[in-house]
Amino acid sequence: MLIAGYAALLLSSLITLLAFAGLIGFSDAAVDWALLSDRYFHSVLLFSLKQAALSTLLSLLLAWPLARALYYLPELPARRSFLSLCLLGFVMPTLVLITGLVALLGRNGYLTPLLGDNWNLYGLNGILIAHIYLNLPYAVRVLLQQLQHIPDRSWVLARQLKLSPWQRLRLVEWPVLKPSLLLLSGFIFVLCFNSFAVVLALGGGPGATTLEVAIYQALKYDFNMAEALTLAWTQLLIAGGLFLLLNRAGSSRWLTADSMVRGNTPPTAVWMRQIHRAIYLIAWGCLLLPVLALLPALFQADLLRFDWMALLAPTLTSLSLALAAALAAMVLAYLMLFPIRHSHRQRKARRRLLLEWLSTHALVAPAMVISVGLYIFLLQRIDLDRWGIAFVALLNMAVIIPFAIQQLKPRLLQYDAQYQQLSQSLKLSRLQQLRIEWPFIRAAFTATFALILLLALGDVAIISIFGGDDWQTLPLLIYSYAGSYRITEASIASLLLLLICAALVGLLERVKQDA
Amino acid sequence: MSRFFALLLTSLLSASVIAADKQADLTVYTYDSFVSEWGPGPKLEQAFEARCQCNLEFIAAEDGVSILNRLRIEKSKNKADVILGIDDALIEETRATGLIAPHQQDLSGLKAELKWTDSDFAPFDYGYFAFVYDSSKISQPVSSLDQLVKSDASVLYQDPRTSTPGQGLMMWMKAVYGDQSEQAWQQLASHTVTVTKGWWEAYSMFLQGSADYVLSYSTSPAYHIVAEGKQQYKAALFSEGHVAQIEVAAVTRTSDNPALARDFLHFLTSSEAQTIIPVTNWMLPVTDNVELPQAFDQLIAPKRIGFSNQEVASQRKKWLREWRNAAAR
Repeated sequence: MLIAGYAALLLSSLITLLAFAGLIGFSDAAVDWALLSDRYFHSVLLFSLKQAALSTLLSLLLAWPLARALYYLPELPARRSFLSLCLLGFVMPTLVLITGLVALLGRNGYLTPLLGDNWNLYGLNGILIAHIYLNLPYAVRVLLQQLQHIPDRSWVLARQLKLSPWQRLRLVEWPVLKPSLLLLSGFIFVLCFNSFAVVLALGGGPGATTLEVAIYQALKYDFNMAEALTLAWTQLLIAGGLFLLLNRAGSSRWLTADSMVRGNTPPTAVWMRQIHRAIYLIAWGCLLLPVLALLPALFQADLLRFDWMALLAPTLTSLSLALAAALAAMVLAYLMLFPIRHSHRQRKARRRLLLEWLSTHALVAPAMVISVGLYIFLLQRIDLDRWGIAFVALLNMAVIIPFAIQQLKPRLLQYDAQYQQLSQSLKLSRLQQLRIEWPFIRAAFTATFALILLLALGDVAIISIFGGDDWQTLPLLIYSYAGSYRITEASIASLLLLLICAALVGLLERVKQDA
Repeated sequence: MSRFFALLLTSLLSASVIAADKQADLTVYTYDSFVSEWGPGPKLEQAFEARCQCNLEFIAAEDGVSILNRLRIEKSKNKADVILGIDDALIEETRATGLIAPHQQDLSGLKAELKWTDSDFAPFDYGYFAFVYDSSKISQPVSSLDQLVKSDASVLYQDPRTSTPGQGLMMWMKAVYGDQSEQAWQQLASHTVTVTKGWWEAYSMFLQGSADYVLSYSTSPAYHIVAEGKQQYKAALFSEGHVAQIEVAAVTRTSDNPALARDFLHFLTSSEAQTIIPVTNWMLPVTDNVELPQAFDQLIAPKRIGFSNQEVASQRKKWLREWRNAAAR
């Protein structure tokens, strides 16, 4: 299994390497050093960092009380649906979100009159709101998951020692959250650092430019490989370095063994419960509003005359592609975790860090560079008009693996801490081990699968480069509607995409429940 | 479960192989929306195949620039007989690949206002960049670019680094303001709502009521009239003149079937093709006397200004930098 794990790591690294080889080999492009002293480059870099840092900070600050509310009040109405909605928020296609936000907070938005005369969505405001909307729900899910892993014994102890609320926060909750907070902030920071469509649509002008935009321009309009490479290295260095740093700090204290059974919830004061309820209610509103703001577009459309059949084939294509990519990614991620777990058990910190970085490197590598680089590499060697679709699945897989790793790793390491020695001393076969492992990771496994499936479902960037016109996916169809004035059709298709995502989330949450 | 998905994937993959196995006599590189169900592609394909008794295949790239980039990557190994859908601003870069053969077409049938003389690239449709507004909200639209820049009306336009209309506005500002364009950009930035990545983001924001004016095409109102029966969207006519976007096609030097490729170029300017293109691609026909829906008669007929393709190719970088610095706020 270790060997399979290394092979999986090699495969995913190979994709990135070939992509860079494609760019470097194409025009013997060297690094463009002059760019590094360019004023524009500095402002782009500074802005990328600023907006990403602010987005991360705000997402986490807002997610924290919400996660606590969900933890302390498991009896909250529609709590399960809320968590599903959170997942939906995280994977919401950016074009849908932008439309929703503009309808809500734009110049003619439904809420704009309430915000005073000086309100302007476009600029840092809009970027931050969109980034928080995309990342806060994810943070909530992760933080809640961590809180739920606080062993009951800790609470019993806290009661016996008569800890004050502040002491409980500091001594019981904080140690559980701290490692995941660092990882989470790195994760969100990288996502925002690489953000593209949101920044361009809501940024308000060239003052709001991220590195990814600069790379897009260099690759697409200037076809300047040297510049693109310089920018890509910069991004890889900063995002990758930061990710490595936080990984090191964050994983230094993993959770100790826990009991699977969640006993009773620690009691809280009545006024605190009221605050939790209020936070929960507000969060529901904030998450739902941008989606609801899309609905009026439906009433303008003639739903009976709408060509629903036109959506069928793209929907099926989207689903099969996403399923293929997500299944492959799950398998690969699970395999990659073998060497990581191994080095963790052997306490080889440096090797573990390296392996962890490799397994999640696709997150920090600029997506644009990977897909364009690989496209350049393959186009000269393979008939992409015929095989392009296979690479769409492959690249989507590569892109979602880091998410799978990030979600699965904590649970598997926890499993190791609890059962590895025992199962080793019992000399269990591989299959027997798996059988014991499964109930332990099942919940995390299905949740992860749902997440990456939805992420793959929303892809536009990769399919628009690799997919020929024989392969229409739903997100691509939305763009193609919108690109030819059919804004209403685009809204209908967007809502359908959201609906499918919602249905999938519902389905998988049910699977999780039944299991 | 997973066996089912594996089966699904295999069947999908094999379907793609079968689809691609049909040998094409003529391969045309174009952009996505050209071959979409409601674009001109399917109808043109049908009409041309009926004429030539041959098999025409479109291969779609993401957009016009991507067609050029694909040629740059594939070089002489490209599959295209014809490339269709790059615009006039990209002509010089495309010619520089050395992959384009002369079109050998008779250009005398083209509209005089195009002043077309290029011997490698042949136009098949065109439009003027224009600011579109909602006449039910604005009764007195601005009548010049200068008025718009100096007004406080809210404006949406596209990023010249990522979209062709954005590049169009860049040339437009340069043509009207010359050395003073930096100040003009600054003035425009003070009442710009936002700058978007592509055309539709800006346009859909405009339809949602986010701005008074949006950068689009002089032909945009025709879509709203013909397809939606809505009369209120109009393009503002500017007294300084407008910059045009001319979409062109060309034959590749590497084509196995150059005669058929030239036939296709010829077909593109036939009255049959020219009647299809305007109501599917929402641009203007390049020949006179094409029968079109009445909505096209109501469109503005601007004076054409702008730069030669060579000037655009050599100045683009400088102009982009100027915009970047001036429009940042």
